[in-house]
Amino acid sequence: MAEVVFSSWGREIVDNRKGGEPKQASFRLPATYDGVRPLNAFIGWDGIILYNKDVDIPAMVAEYMKRVQTKYVCGKCTPGKKGTRVIMDALLAVVEGRGNEQMLDTILEVGDILGNAKCTLCPSSAVPVVDAVTYFRDAFVNYIRGAKSLASEARYIEKYTAPCMDKCPAHIDIPHYIEAIKDYRYDESLKAIRDSMPLPSVCGRVCPHPCETACRRKQVDEPISIMTLKRTASDYEWAHEAAPPMVPKPSKEKKVAVVGAGPAGLAAAYYLALEGYPVTIYEALPIGGGMVAVGIPPYRQPRNLLQRDIDIIQALGVEIVYNTKVGKDISLDELRQKFAAVFLAPGAHRSKPMGVEGEDKGYKGFLTGGIDFLRNVYLGLPTGMGKKVFVVGGGNTAIDCVRVALREGAEESVLVYRRSRKEMPADVWEVDGADDEGVRFEFQVLPTRVVANENNEVTGVELIRMAMGEPDASGRRRPEPVPGSEFVIECDTIIPAIGQDADLSFIPADAGIDTTKWSTVVTNYVPLKGHDGKELKDNMGNPLSRNLITNCDGVFAGGDAEIGPLTVVACIGSGHRAAKVIQRYLEGEGVDLTDDERMEDILTYLGVYDKNEHVDWLDSAAREKQDEIHGRERASYKNYCEVELGFTDSQAIREAERCLRCYRVAMVAVPV
Amino acid sequence: MVSLTIDGKSVQVEAGSTILDAAATVGIKIPTLCWLQKVSPTGACRICAVEIEGVDRTMTACNTPVKEGIVVSTDTEKLRTLRRKIMELMLVNHPLDCPVCDAGGECGLQDACYEQGAARQEFSALLERRPIRYDWRLLESDPNRCILCEKCVKVDHEIVGCDAIHVVNKGEATIIDTVDGKPLDCEFCGNCIEACPTGTLISAPFKFKGRVWDFSKVASICAFCGVGCQIDYHVRNGRVGRVTSDDSTFNNGNLCINGRFGYSYLASADRLARPQLRQGGALAPVSWDAALDYAAEKLKAIVAQNGPAAVAGIGSPRVTNEESFLFQKFLREALGTGNIDSEARLGYAPAQAQLLRRFGFSGASACIDQIDNAQAILVFGCDLNAEATGVEYRVIKAATKHDAKLVLANMREVKLRKFSNQHLKHLPGRELFLIQGLMKALVEVGAPLPAGSETLKAELAKLTLAELATASGVTEEQLRVAGKLLAGKERVAIIFGADLMRAADAAAKVTALADLAVLTGAASGNGGGIFPIDAKNNTVGLLDMGGAPDLLPGQQPAASAGKDLWGIVEGIEQGSIKALYLLGSDLAALPENARIRKALAKLELLIVQDIFEGESLSFAHVVLPAAAAAEKSGSFTSTDNRVQVLLKAVNAPGEAKTDLEIIAALYQRLAGTQQPSRAEELAEEIARSAKGYLAQGGQVVKQSATLRSAAIAPLAKASAGELPKYQLLVGPIGYHNGTSSTRSENNLMVSPSGYLELHPADAAALGVADGAVVKVSSAHGALTARAKVSAKLQPGLIFAPVHFRELNANALLKGSCNLVEVKVERG
Repeated sequence: MAEVVFSSWGREIVDNRKGGEPKQASFRLPATYDGVRPLNAFIGWDGIILYNKDVDIPAMVAEYMKRVQTKYVCGKCTPGKKGTRVIMDALLAVVEGRGNEQMLDTILEVGDILGNAKCTLCPSSAVPVVDAVTYFRDAFVNYIRGAKSLASEARYIEKYTAPCMDKCPAHIDIPHYIEAIKDYRYDESLKAIRDSMPLPSVCGRVCPHPCETACRRKQVDEPISIMTLKRTASDYEWAHEAAPPMVPKPSKEKKVAVVGAGPAGLAAAYYLALEGYPVTIYEALPIGGGMVAVGIPPYRQPRNLLQRDIDIIQALGVEIVYNTKVGKDISLDELRQKFAAVFLAPGAHRSKPMGVEGEDKGYKGFLTGGIDFLRNVYLGLPTGMGKKVFVVGGGNTAIDCVRVALREGAEESVLVYRRSRKEMPADVWEVDGADDEGVRFEFQVLPTRVVANENNEVTGVELIRMAMGEPDASGRRRPEPVPGSEFVIECDTIIPAIGQDADLSFIPADAGIDTTKWSTVVTNYVPLKGHDGKELKDNMGNPLSRNLITNCDGVFAGGDAEIGPLTVVACIGSGHRAAKVIQRYLEGEGVDLTDDERMEDILTYLGVYDKNEHVDWLDSAAREKQDEIHGRERASYKNYCEVELGFTDSQAIREAERCLRCYRVAMVAVPV
Repeated sequence: MVSLTIDGKSVQVEAGSTILDAAATVGIKIPTLCWLQKVSPTGACRICAVEIEGVDRTMTACNTPVKEGIVVSTDTEKLRTLRRKIMELMLVNHPLDCPVCDAGGECGLQDACYEQGAARQEFSALLERRPIRYDWRLLESDPNRCILCEKCVKVDHEIVGCDAIHVVNKGEATIIDTVDGKPLDCEFCGNCIEACPTGTLISAPFKFKGRVWDFSKVASICAFCGVGCQIDYHVRNGRVGRVTSDDSTFNNGNLCINGRFGYSYLASADRLARPQLRQGGALAPVSWDAALDYAAEKLKAIVAQNGPAAVAGIGSPRVTNEESFLFQKFLREALGTGNIDSEARLGYAPAQAQLLRRFGFSGASACIDQIDNAQAILVFGCDLNAEATGVEYRVIKAATKHDAKLVLANMREVKLRKFSNQHLKHLPGRELFLIQGLMKALVEVGAPLPAGSETLKAELAKLTLAELATASGVTEEQLRVAGKLLAGKERVAIIFGADLMRAADAAAKVTALADLAVLTGAASGNGGGIFPIDAKNNTVGLLDMGGAPDLLPGQQPAASAGKDLWGIVEGIEQGSIKALYLLGSDLAALPENARIRKALAKLELLIVQDIFEGESLSFAHVVLPAAAAAEKSGSFTSTDNRVQVLLKAVNAPGEAKTDLEIIAALYQRLAGTQQPSRAEELAEEIARSAKGYLAQGGQVVKQSATLRSAAIAPLAKASAGELPKYQLLVGPIGYHNGTSSTRSENNLMVSPSGYLELHPADAAALGVADGAVVKVSSAHGALTARAKVSAKLQPGLIFAPVHFRELNANALLKGSCNLVEVKVERG
């Protein structure tokens, strides 16, 4: 296992330069930058991590500060604008042999003044510089005294990020769009959002906003309402009848086909269209939006606004061919022949079976799955739902089903989940919303049998109570049935909402496209390993750093069918990356990930957010709450009116003012 | 309320206040540099840093809200050192050209350095110099002097509603510049100059005109539009060097191009400086006595021979209340004629008469600061940018900072379009359908309507939203959305301008809009208000002083009305009117002026009293040179009834006298009575004669009227005639006000000449490219000008600015209407 030569990361000093018993320190960093070149050093907002003693520290921090000052410093506060310049010039003077020791003191002094800067970019960028001058002073003094550096040349790669931006699977430049709102520049805000998020009205409403879990404001009081601010920017354009400003580049020759008009497909199409590529999307359903359109209820995502986002994408020249299922109406092979590249983003629309007695009997009232139920409702098709509805599952789809059932005229809408309310994977506000509307919950019960009458109609469901069992080998306690606790609940409709996966049957076996046992498409990746030799994985268990190209030339894959069923925002991030890789593929630039993409993945693995960080700030501005319609009336028959109303502009401004603008720059040193 | 402690003093302030606000309430002055009250806090300079117990880092007072129980220190050794070091950092590479910097003596940076004791420089960086922008018009920018306080950018964006300048580049190279780096192209209001604490953004016309402390400041009122912005003339050597406005003024220091730069008309070569008499066919300079004697004798003779009705006078919305008062008194009492009117007849006067009858108010129903807090605003037929920029700033403020919803009804995409929630780009002339469509929409969306609207509701039930939408050229959905935006609000403000008041059948349209004001609650006492807009500074004052044939001072009905503007023109044509006295009104430049000019040629006596040589001059028998606003004292009444005093800043050119002096002199010659020739001497008399006006310390003030609730008029029958293929709209643009600004070299630098604006579809149909010459002709006149192709118009609608004498767009109009059917050809 590689040894850390020096580390000040996390303000904890590990210094193994002098020999002796090495102190251990491990970080969530790959051993190599790209599977080949060793990662010699990593510096950034929290210090320096040095894996190779030959790294030229003064040259590295001089370069770091030069990049920070000339590429990222916004110039909008005095210490930031001038202070980083003073430090940069002092560092450059030292490494160019024009320096003196007093300059080192100036660097420390200005580094201290930077603590009073407007945001965190400049102060956090001073951290590795101050560490370097403090712990590697000799190296600087050597430069000052004219000694030639013996260190080998390095290649530096830097990345501008922020905890929220890093946590967002689409990597939206969140501080930028929030700052623009603060400055009353909704258009600029929306432009910043669209740079990474072509469905802003959607992700301003229904995103699970992982960004907010990585918001440093949380350490002061509550996180910034990042998602709702996105909605503000997006709604502003719509509410002011403003035309979106995007203009695609001149049209290119090579055409791209996209399978699926869901978030991933639309995102890929959007970015490819902006680059000038003619894109045709093949969509099995009669409408666009994928799971947003047939999964998310209109009271959370008004359809006119989803359609507006889709219309905007189509206005860029994207063609959507509806009611066309690839594998049935047109073959994958045909697409490959007609198009220079094919992006597979079919989504995960197949319900998983529940595994209870009687579910395969074809009883009337036993619906195939939550996702099928919702799709039928939204498409205006018969659902087979009765009056007493029973939904099984604990995720957002299950919640959507019970809430939609109410709006479809159910007299009773019950949700059962085998664990406790706290453990439900559904978003808390969704569960609360269902509560507000009169949904009944049964926790810690497991359906065991479908009860039907002689006409093969569902009349109830048999359940068994669950209790926490003894801890298993991993120490985790799992719910186990309590023998003899069976009971029956009357109902005429059962909707299993256990989960869904992708239907990949449209991919011919001989296409050379590998799939996994979880019904996802396998794509190529960078073989990144940790210092312990283990392969690095993302949260879904996929290889960390993927370029989304399949084993079949010209065929790419993304979205739920590649990641596994996840979130809109993850699919958009996937579609965006796919667009970039496809563009490079079409331009003959190769499909390797760029430095920026590699750094993106490395930082995501490391985690830019540190929940243990002490954030010093006065907690005098509370998080703004958007208005919401409350009560059972909002879930009355066919009432799909939006429940959350968004911020007023002045609320949005106040909320944006709370943002701490936690930008920071990371840089790695690798051999040339 | 929140309680906190600052420097040992206990303070109570409202929640949401900043520490800076809180400190100010107990007299603690925390130093600031980038903070500007009227825009959002920036937190750029960091010198307002304070310490708060329990928080390790410093917090900036300007943008940190207070919190219950916090203990704040604003003046500790640590803070003093920090502030000094920050100033030192700010000065890294700041040029040392203070001796020749225009901001010298009024520089916020100089003051801050002095206050913070930044006497040394410990820090240094490599010097990089950035080019000075000498290629901008009216402004110059030296980014080397910039401290990135962003005041200019914020004033430009948040107050003016423009995006002319931005923070660009990164790091030390960050500067304020135009987004694309091209020369500045904006409204040229110059509010950024005022906001700039350093010599970065400076006024090019003012540059090197003298050190700021050598100028004397004279407080006055802007004499361009009816907003009545409070200004300071900066005077040196008898000339106005610049105009500024302080943030503590009613207008918050915000001006427009006319207010800030229009002063250069004062020094125009077109100024009349000597009295003249027509002798042997040509005008020749004479003495004041000769000119006045001639005018008086001639007037006497005409009255003696033809009776007083053979004399008429046209007043001016430009002159002071006192001058307007004496003018009408001169005509009515010294001469005995009721033939008095003004250009307000074209639209504003009849609209106001109607509102006065219905609601009992003149001017506006409320003060324009009410607009700031309106919840919904309807701007109808008005390009506020051109007609009342200061009101536009307030609408922008309401819409962007106070969550007001904005509905814009305009044939063109005027500047407010970018702030509007709904733009009803209706067909030219179809205003009545549109207003009824809005009424219908209010009913359809279930707006709570006031008592008394049942009849109207029943009448509306006979119409469909669809037919009203089609006839007005908008969609049903647009009407519905607009209805929702205006419905159920407590404070709706309705603002309307020349496009409504000068439309064909304006009376019915104004009636309908007034009804809409009743329906939305705008016309109620605590509603948002009704604001008719006129583009000239003292139109309200002129009418209040009795400058109309049917109104005596105080808007009292005249016993027997004289002839109005068009009646006077007819009278001259028919020979019944033989003498005409033009006071600050270039009648020959008004609409249908080919006809007017023909009429003027028939007069036995035409007295032209003006500050400029105008079109009427060629018909004048007597020319009396007058003083402009900066050259006299008196009062103006703003569009919302604020009576404000202007003080003389400079002398009039040559022998020119104030209008008051001239009228008094003529008065004396005709009636033999001494009349006051100083404004303050008239205050008491005005207060006695003009209802609603009071005299206070030699000045007049206007009482606010109580709003009468009015019954809703029966629904007028709107008729949709065949839409002409092309119609010409003549109106004002933001770069000018009336014709005075076309004599201001500053304004001309930005907007030198007239043009014809037409829609791309029309341009394509006519085969006309941007900049090509186009000929437009109506039954009354024709003009050729360069085409400006703009999607802001609509197919079939052509726009010509009214200001330019050479263009003379007014010649094509017929009567008061500002829209006329035209033929368009390639020129």
